[in-house]
Amino acid sequence: MNKPDFDTFVSQSIAEPSEIAPDKDLWPGIERAINGEVTSVANSSYWPKVTGIAACFMAGLVAWQVVVKQPDYDTMASMSHFFEQQKHVLLVKYETQPAIVNDWQIQLQELENAEQAVKLALQNDPENAALLKMLAQVYQQQLDLINKVHEPRWQQI
Amino acid sequence: MLIDAQQAFSKTSDDGSSDAVIRRVQEGDQAAFAQLYREHHRRVYALCLRLLADKDYAEDVTQEVFVQLWHKIAQFKGQSKFTTWLHSVTSNIAISYLRQHKNWLQKVVSIEGAGMDESSVTLCKGLNGLDKLIVRLPERARMVFVLHAIEGYRHEEIATMLSMAVGSSKSQYHRARQLLMEWYDNE
Repeated sequence: MNKPDFDTFVSQSIAEPSEIAPDKDLWPGIERAINGEVTSVANSSYWPKVTGIAACFMAGLVAWQVVVKQPDYDTMASMSHFFEQQKHVLLVKYETQPAIVNDWQIQLQELENAEQAVKLALQNDPENAALLKMLAQVYQQQLDLINKVHEPRWQQI
Repeated sequence: MLIDAQQAFSKTSDDGSSDAVIRRVQEGDQAAFAQLYREHHRRVYALCLRLLADKDYAEDVTQEVFVQLWHKIAQFKGQSKFTTWLHSVTSNIAISYLRQHKNWLQKVVSIEGAGMDESSVTLCKGLNGLDKLIVRLPERARMVFVLHAIEGYRHEEIATMLSMAVGSSKSQYHRARQLLMEWYDNE
């Protein structure tokens, strides 16, 4: 059977309302949020903002190094130093707060393993933009993970 | 010519019972809100998945949409279809979420987010033929295509929503069409 031309395919596809069921039951998290079982917005939004500002600063630094290469500057080391500080701040902040999943430290360990692998590759090619970008992403994923597992708003039952 | 699917969608989904449910939710009836969620969450999630091309992001944004809906539903005065309003709220929250979750390098050097790779598309349940192609599009092309071709927004509106020039919205739309056509022909 001939398939329809592209425009017909698109028109037919979007004429039918698209419904997709999420894998998770999202209602319990919504119910908790609307019943006020969350930390105050003022409290919960402070640290992500600080992390975001810090991350933007770091991004500027990394981008500067990527775009305007300075051979005597160790981008990886400064990036790593900066993010170790950020990570430490978050871990201290959430020290007494229970995480919403039990295996988050295993997930964090996996990301740290990825971080080590990228760092190893960077030792051979210290200013490789693609590797620096990858390292930045791994760091961001670590911060996101720490924030997310301690953020009660989206807890699933 | 692509049809305005948002309008088509609205006609089929708003009926008398929904109006009654909305009124009850506006009065603070949480059971009615649970019903509203059951009626609409699959469509909200589908739109989030199309816009964000990421299952986890789509789940987060779907929750955020319903949390905000609970707090803002009093603002819905019935001047438009509820589903049209809900789609508009969803689109804006998804765009805002994506801005917040761009990593630092993307923010500073404008590296564009990629779409799903083919293996992720295969693992993502519920995507129909066109959706499977849309989620593979690069971020800007994907968002413009979904907002224009599926949600019915004009390029001028999209330009404001996505903070881009009208010409960029048009060129991203054509870029999306070219990629989709190419993938569709090669299927």
